[in-house]
Amino acid sequence: MEKVTLTVNGFTQSVLVESHETILDTLRNRLNLTGTKKCCDEGTCGSCTILMDGKPVLGCLTPTLRCVGKEILTIEGISSGESLHLVQKHLVKSLGLQCGFCTPGVVMTAIPFLEENPHASRNEIKESLSGNLCRCTGYKKIIDAVENAAEEMRS
Amino acid sequence: MEYYHSPDSIKDALSMAREFDGNFIYFAGGTDVQIYRKQKLEKNEHIIDLKSIHDLNSISIKDEVLSLGAMTPLDDIIKSKEILKFFPVLVEAAKSVATPVIRKTATIGGNLLVRNRCTFYNQSQEWRNGVGSCLRDVGDICQVTGGKNDCFSRNVSDTAAALIALNAEITLINSNGMTQKPIKDIYLPCGIKFHDLDNEIILTQIRVPFSPKKWWYKKLRMRKTLDFTSLTIAATIDNQDIARICLNGVSMTPILIEEPIETLTLESLIKQARKNCKTVDNDLMPLKYRREMINVYLEEFWNSIYI
Repeated sequence: MEKVTLTVNGFTQSVLVESHETILDTLRNRLNLTGTKKCCDEGTCGSCTILMDGKPVLGCLTPTLRCVGKEILTIEGISSGESLHLVQKHLVKSLGLQCGFCTPGVVMTAIPFLEENPHASRNEIKESLSGNLCRCTGYKKIIDAVENAAEEMRS
Repeated sequence: MEYYHSPDSIKDALSMAREFDGNFIYFAGGTDVQIYRKQKLEKNEHIIDLKSIHDLNSISIKDEVLSLGAMTPLDDIIKSKEILKFFPVLVEAAKSVATPVIRKTATIGGNLLVRNRCTFYNQSQEWRNGVGSCLRDVGDICQVTGGKNDCFSRNVSDTAAALIALNAEITLINSNGMTQKPIKDIYLPCGIKFHDLDNEIILTQIRVPFSPKKWWYKKLRMRKTLDFTSLTIAATIDNQDIARICLNGVSMTPILIEEPIETLTLESLIKQARKNCKTVDNDLMPLKYRREMINVYLEEFWNSIYI
């Protein structure tokens, strides 16, 4: 085990981790941040997307030791208090989720994408979310939600 | 036990590699290697992560010659306006790899050295135990062909196809010093040992010497995202009218066909491609369909030359 210092959602804390451990397992099993979901565990579904220094990465493929000295942001750190982020708000409003398992990954992918591409077209939004699998909604409502969030962000 | 190391210089990485004496794996982006570790296909104890070596992440274009650090993320290549201007085929290839999120971590060097794939090998330990192991794992027979000698795992690097079509060179460093060679020369026609680089060597730079007059790129896969290639064709025509057509995903190694455009015909192109590709039934797409698609794509490329 190694003792590392991680900064997650603005809080810095020390934690004991295995050398080979992924940040997904560290978040869920050691820091009890279970909002980031574990699904395929092999980079296929996008459910475990988190932000590392503002960039989206897949938690299941990122060694925890690679995250030392970086700012990690998970779904738990996105909203301010009870006020949801615009992307979250529109996912609720457009019914862009059913079981909600893929939603944290969708939110963590869509936010940095819209910040970087505020004028993204529907097709560009579709492509940006192409690594996030959802088994419930059929995607249309998710795309609608992100498109509506983009529109509100611009206004 | 597993150990993670993050050297900040090539010298340190090489000295760790020597110390661990083959019991290590280099991490570039790590997006592919991590899966091999989870599937128990990669069991070396030490991970040497090259991410902290800053010199390896750079893009520069001088006199239309492109130099790329091997640790440059694919996403940076896609976003570079200069690469798009002079080397659009490389941008197109990078865009076709994995998903937008994975491309922010996956690197050009990692993609060039991505391990060959086969539907009977790239599976979980349980799956492999159920079906029976193969030559590349711990078995003694190829599950695809029934043969006992050759492994036909496919080279699936999309950027390799584009960079070979661009006649790119790579710089390699080990404890004996630095060497440069054309990318096409590192690949071997073997599914198990698919390149001739020794364990310790580090790929540091990629140099693309010319901007092509014309280019063409297409990738066949089940979905428009994520999937590894079932057939990738990248083609360029340079200022001397030499065509370089590279096929990948259909054989153990990328297949290059290089010929002046005035002597090349569609029939000879298809004949050479079909003759050199050792395509077997080791992909999700049916073998017959993949073989037919070689003709279809080459015909599309051929028609595009005269537009």
